[in-house]
Amino acid sequence: MCTGRLDPAIVAGAFRQGLDGLLTVGCYFGDCHYITGNVQAKAKIDITRKVLKHAGLNEERLAFRQCSSGEASVFVDLVSQFDEKIHSLGPLGGAGDRVKAPEIFKKLETAEAALTSEKIRWVIGKRTPFLETGNIYGEIFTEHEFNRAVEMIIVEETQVQEILGGLKEGARSVKDLAKRLDIPPERVFRYITALQRKNLVALQGVNGRSPVFQLTA
Amino acid sequence: MLDVGRHPNIDLLAYSEVEKLEGRSGDFKVTVRRKARYVEEDKCTGCGACKEKCPTVVPDAFNVGLGDRKAIYSWFAQGIPSTHTIDPEHCRQLKGKKCGVCAKTCLAEAINFDQKDRLVEIGVGAIIVATGYDVFDPSQIFEYRYKEIPNVVTSIEFERLLSASGPTAGHAGRPSDLAVEAEIEALEKKAGRLQRAITKFEDKYVESSSAFSKKYQDGEYKDDKDRKRWADKYAEHLAILETIEPIKKKAEGFTVAKRLAFIQCVGSRDFRFYPFCSGYCCMHSIKEAIIAHEHETETTSTIFGMDIRAVGKGFEQYKIRGGNNSNITYIRGRVAEIMEGPDNNPVVTYEDTRERRVKSEEFDMVILATACAPGRGTIETANLLGIELDRYDFVKTDPLSPVDTTTPGIFVCGCSVAPLDVPESVSQASSASERAAEVVFQSDLKKEKAVA
Amino acid sequence: MPDKRENIRIGVFICHCGSNIAGYLDVEELEAFAKTLPNVAFVVRNLYTCSEGGINEIKNAIDEQNLNRVVVASCTPRTHEPLFRSSCAEAGLNPYLFEMVNIRDQCSWVHMREREKGTSKAKDLIRMGVAKAALLEPQEPIISEVHAARALVIGGGIAGMTASIALGDRGYEVVLVEKEERLGGMLNRLNMLGPTMTDAGDMVKEKIETITDHPNITVFTRATVTDVDGFIGNYEVDIETKSGNEKVDIGVIIVATGGRLFVPEGLYGYDGRRVITQLEVEEVLGRGLDPAVKNIVMIQCVGSRNEERPYCARICCQTAVKNAILITEQNPDAKVSILYRDMQMYGVENEEMFRDSKVKGVRFIKYDPARPPRVEEGKVSVFHSLLGREMDLLADLVVLSTPVVPQEDADVTSKILTVPVDENGFFLEGHVKLRPLDFATDGVFLCGSARFPANIRETVAQGLGAASRASIPLSKGFVVVEPIISVLADEDACRGCGLCVALCPYSALEVRDTEKGRKVHVIDVSCKGCGVCAATCYQHALSINSFTDQQINAQIAAFLN
Repeated sequence: MCTGRLDPAIVAGAFRQGLDGLLTVGCYFGDCHYITGNVQAKAKIDITRKVLKHAGLNEERLAFRQCSSGEASVFVDLVSQFDEKIHSLGPLGGAGDRVKAPEIFKKLETAEAALTSEKIRWVIGKRTPFLETGNIYGEIFTEHEFNRAVEMIIVEETQVQEILGGLKEGARSVKDLAKRLDIPPERVFRYITALQRKNLVALQGVNGRSPVFQLTA
Repeated sequence: MLDVGRHPNIDLLAYSEVEKLEGRSGDFKVTVRRKARYVEEDKCTGCGACKEKCPTVVPDAFNVGLGDRKAIYSWFAQGIPSTHTIDPEHCRQLKGKKCGVCAKTCLAEAINFDQKDRLVEIGVGAIIVATGYDVFDPSQIFEYRYKEIPNVVTSIEFERLLSASGPTAGHAGRPSDLAVEAEIEALEKKAGRLQRAITKFEDKYVESSSAFSKKYQDGEYKDDKDRKRWADKYAEHLAILETIEPIKKKAEGFTVAKRLAFIQCVGSRDFRFYPFCSGYCCMHSIKEAIIAHEHETETTSTIFGMDIRAVGKGFEQYKIRGGNNSNITYIRGRVAEIMEGPDNNPVVTYEDTRERRVKSEEFDMVILATACAPGRGTIETANLLGIELDRYDFVKTDPLSPVDTTTPGIFVCGCSVAPLDVPESVSQASSASERAAEVVFQSDLKKEKAVA
Repeated sequence: MPDKRENIRIGVFICHCGSNIAGYLDVEELEAFAKTLPNVAFVVRNLYTCSEGGINEIKNAIDEQNLNRVVVASCTPRTHEPLFRSSCAEAGLNPYLFEMVNIRDQCSWVHMREREKGTSKAKDLIRMGVAKAALLEPQEPIISEVHAARALVIGGGIAGMTASIALGDRGYEVVLVEKEERLGGMLNRLNMLGPTMTDAGDMVKEKIETITDHPNITVFTRATVTDVDGFIGNYEVDIETKSGNEKVDIGVIIVATGGRLFVPEGLYGYDGRRVITQLEVEEVLGRGLDPAVKNIVMIQCVGSRNEERPYCARICCQTAVKNAILITEQNPDAKVSILYRDMQMYGVENEEMFRDSKVKGVRFIKYDPARPPRVEEGKVSVFHSLLGREMDLLADLVVLSTPVVPQEDADVTSKILTVPVDENGFFLEGHVKLRPLDFATDGVFLCGSARFPANIRETVAQGLGAASRASIPLSKGFVVVEPIISVLADEDACRGCGLCVALCPYSALEVRDTEKGRKVHVIDVSCKGCGVCAATCYQHALSINSFTDQQINAQIAAFLN
């Protein structure tokens, strides 16, 4: 077993259940017993951190550090420093975080959904091929380009999950969703159309002049 | 150890000795004496109930005499097999007295006082000698006063003191302090017994002992023998309490040993004893100093040695880390003498060869890194098997065939060859098993050919 | 999925480990706590759960208490999980229905001075272990046959030659690959071998003859291994030889690539003529020392035990002393001085040689690394740290003792075989003390100076030892693999996208056409169970046995709630 087993959805789920901090300590690059597991772990943690930060969590609550199994004193330092950091931040959703409890837990639920669903996971998985061998058109991304794309996808995917979360509570109109979730109505409309195509959302009826949408069963 | 015990291809004959060897490479016949345990191996579950009840207390050889065991015992807690053994030297029943408590306690009915030694004969293709070494007895070096000064111990004794499963549960208590604590315990036990006797008298005569004692001293109850016993017991009890008091006060100040001196090359690199270097002692002294510091961060250690030989993989870095993080000072020099100072503190006199001065320093405890002495068991085994020894009584080998003895089919590994540390002993064990497998393979091949 | 109808009965065994655990945690409280946990049917404490008595207690409880899951809270799975697993198996319980909780290495030893906090953490750990245990599923070991009972030995120095002959003599086929034109490695450049002063050339010659005549050994010289594919018992190895490329089926691999001597460019005026290395002095001695060379100064620890190379290279002191003795034998008038930091003449033979050298008049002067010797024209100045003064030594020849360093291509070998190197670039064994000749990866072994500098006795012993280790799978004929590997748990979910295939570091995944379309396939003996694929799959189709999402989530939930 390796840090490479660390699943972003599981990490988000732990925070959603009230975890205050998560320190992942992997081997040094090049020293991984599973060759590249630590590289994958770091890539996953980095993107997970972005998603969680977007949800309002202080990004320092999720760390990836490295040390070798022979470096007991380094390990002790890493853990002590992280422990101190987390104590200074206090419990999740307190003064240390942008979004406060209990709202943050709602946001984290959305983050968990985003990290469980297809799009962000696919991007995480494609990171290594995109940076090293390129996409299907042979275009190799720079780290900067990749990160910019990731940021955009995180914003979109989070909003999509928020819409799905909103619809879970009942059928709603685009206008209603836009107001509740504070997302521009034209965006909500775009997501809804995409979700309709994927057969995740369907038109329920028209309320006055507003079409109302619901989750497909 | 457990792997050996569980391996389907390994027949473990513990508590046994080789008596005779016949035959030759590929076709040896070995006679093994299976010593009587007085406990049936197939019945004993190793539960240890017998040793709880056994009334005979014996110094524990596994803890180098620092703790106690019973006359029925297992060599140590994780030992394999876990079958217990009765020590015939100490067992009351086997010595002809009345006892048999263990037999009554044992629910598995495993105790058998009539068990006798058995001789078994085994046919083998090859033999590996792995009889190890003995710890050099440092009392031969008079100037170090080992055994005279209680707080001068050997590395192996210190290892047991540091061990969580050792007699002090890992607190590096000084033997002099441990002795005092043992004395207090013994006195308190005695005081308790006397107290119970006195209470009986008080109940019998419905009178407090102090009141009675006054009357008794005034000459009352002159010819009352029973009351005389009361008076004697009372006086003895008071005397014990008086004795315990100051000892207890002294014991209050006891802490673990914090100033440690490690003396290297005790019996090694010494023409009076063993001229060779024992190889691993520098590293185990550093290790013990680091562990002592982990247990108690105020611990400081001084290692006295001629050269600090940290030659294995990662050893040099370990040595430097010890110096930087675990308060270890390395002093180049040979210790001339150890004397006893105040509070049973050993005082070490040495020449600091860098400053070219003779110095004295007081420590809480001195640990002697004793030489890897050729084992008596190795000598006996070698004589029995007819393999040659070198001038020091290690098994003779050639650097180009490092695990072959002078007799074909007999191989050797570990400290019976020379002082070796763990990784080297482990690799050598593999080497010896390779050579043994070659012999067995060749002889099987011959047999096959003979059959064909 | 565990059978829903199955009545889960977990037994929890709390080990005292003597006082290693019981001395620092409140084990009675742990016992009482464990009894309150869901699905726990039986709790007991042991002085040592690993002792035969403790093991019997587990076995009896499985039988008498009808346990179908076992949790041991004790030391560390690193050393004891296999034992407890097999004990469960012996009692008829599938060994993968066992879960270990580490309350010693990661709890009692860490919190020795905080009993309450330590105990409370141990409770969390036990609760997590029990939560996971309830979801454990039985697994069966994967058995793979050794298809090629043939060993590949990389490196034809003394380590590799010794290992090859040993395996050949055991009846196994050996392919020995040497990158130079000739077998022998470092020995080809040495003169006499200490402490017995055996002629290195004679020894090499003898070994080469044995190998050349050996019916079971195939030698490729001026050859390199370019690619290794497959796994223990089933490797396919590409070898580039002078007469073309070879493809060989191999069962096990021994790395015996040795080391090389550090060349002290720019240090102490090294010029290869008047200031030379120990290796160069071997060659000089082989030819015969010029009688005019009367004063020789050797300097130890040149390029080692410093910031850049912190290690002591083990064999340089004995080499220096050996060469000093040989110099005095060739030229009785010669005065040899060895400037050292510590004379690392460990063991019996080295110390004897050290003494012998003193009798022969070799002088030893301890220098302080803070005030290193200075090599000047015809002399060496040194601060004698024991006399406390500067002194000048006449020097017709200066010999620098430089360390053995890793081969330049060690990192290439490391990548081809996917085995690690340590911080100094030497190959890293499976365990420094207990598995000195194995790699962590099954089927690959190491010996000689590729692992760490070693003298002739040690190298020969390691060559034999590695052969012994490597012969185990060859003689068994099969390999048993731990079933804690990746599985396609939800075949319908898999879209055959190949995202996981691209990330698998072991090439253990491939997409195959099936009746249900393109689906991923796990090559089980190649899989090491790292978990990257399961953590990546956006369809959550892949899972890791005994580390499923469900099990991990149960542990997290148990910890947080």
